[in-house]
Amino acid sequence: MSDAPLLAIEGVSKIYRRGLLNRTPAFQLDVDFRIDKPAIVGVMGPNGAGKTTLFEMIAGSNVPTRGRVMVAGHDMQRVRYGERDRLAIHYHQSYQVRRFSRTRPDFVMEPAGSSYPVVHLFDEPQFNTQDGYIGFMLDFFRRLRSERRLVFICLHPTAALHLELLREVCERFFFVGDGQVRPFADYGTITADPRVRNYLGALAV
Amino acid sequence: MALFEAHELHLRFGDRVVLEDISLSFEAGRLSGIMGPNGAGKTTCFNVLTGRYRPDRGRVLFDGADITGRSPQAIARMGIARSFQLMNLFDEFTAFENVAIALPQTRRRGADAVGQAYGDAALVAEAHDILGTVGLGQRADQIAKSLPYGERRALEIAVALACRPKLLFLDEPTAGLGSDGRARLADLVRRLKGQVTLVVIEHDMEFLFSLADDISVIHWGQVIAQGSPAELRTNPWVKNSNLGKLA
Repeated sequence: MSDAPLLAIEGVSKIYRRGLLNRTPAFQLDVDFRIDKPAIVGVMGPNGAGKTTLFEMIAGSNVPTRGRVMVAGHDMQRVRYGERDRLAIHYHQSYQVRRFSRTRPDFVMEPAGSSYPVVHLFDEPQFNTQDGYIGFMLDFFRRLRSERRLVFICLHPTAALHLELLREVCERFFFVGDGQVRPFADYGTITADPRVRNYLGALAV
Repeated sequence: MALFEAHELHLRFGDRVVLEDISLSFEAGRLSGIMGPNGAGKTTCFNVLTGRYRPDRGRVLFDGADITGRSPQAIARMGIARSFQLMNLFDEFTAFENVAIALPQTRRRGADAVGQAYGDAALVAEAHDILGTVGLGQRADQIAKSLPYGERRALEIAVALACRPKLLFLDEPTAGLGSDGRARLADLVRRLKGQVTLVVIEHDMEFLFSLADDISVIHWGQVIAQGSPAELRTNPWVKNSNLGKLA
């Protein structure tokens, strides 16, 4: 692996417009951050805020309107479609989803230069306390981190358990809301933010 | 070297990665369990191990031989049998006939095999012996269709045993069984332990934890945990789950 940051999101905006004729934005998400070292990162935010859009842009399956996403020094939009998951892999619940709209032939694009994904994006993983799988899932996230991977876990908390899990396993956080992706250094600061407290409602303690 | 080994299996269907990086090994004489939530890739993994799918990368070794990409038939002939989630029985035939047909010496005979089978004392004895092993000694002359669900499952295991496998794969053997059926099946699997190397894919954690020597947990197409039931139970989240409460 190169010395480049594991993930650098440089001046990225994603704009969905109302239609081909009506160009007023219906949705806009602005993202700019970088993460140099392995970590387990929690991502929270309301439904429709853009959590999955963020993950798709990191995985290279959603093209940013402007800016670029760099994974381990590779511009995701320049990497061959079939090799993007060797850099960033997006797990949607239990399935691994990737739909790439192919606009350029692979031979003009760059190889991923990696055989096992650098960034692992877990989109709303299903946590069920009854069956005990949670413990294995948390250990797996930690193992990936110890193998120098960057792990994202996106959750829309609907139970105290979800917050408990995020607090146990994540070392830093992002809150997606109002078109922004805001960083927080730890669980204490994210749950102290008034916007986040408002979003968590009764779950905020 | 273990009896069966899989190294770094990777498989994708189109844009979707279904197995990311799976390495497993099954020791002779043991019962190894594979478990994981729905959609984790258990059955796909099973299909790669038993030759139905060829992995994009990785190797499968049995008894020291590389069997990656060999046909299911070739793999079966080497001594690997499997049962299915959906049962494969000849419904119009009796329990005895289902087992007799599966015996290698019957299959060598061809079309009239079933008729002749009744006249071959050694073969009759062997088929009855196998039915006895799975607890169907009294059911030999019943039509497969008329057997209750749990016994059909036992009969399917008898059919797999008739090939005299070195390694027997069972795919979700408790699927569709009630608690009584599960307990009876657990007894049967316990009896088979030691006679044949077993690999059981199961969704029911309780079932596996009570029977397996070692367990691999599969999720997101990867092995996320591995160990003996005692080792896996030390996980605090497992302790607090229903499974932990049973211990």
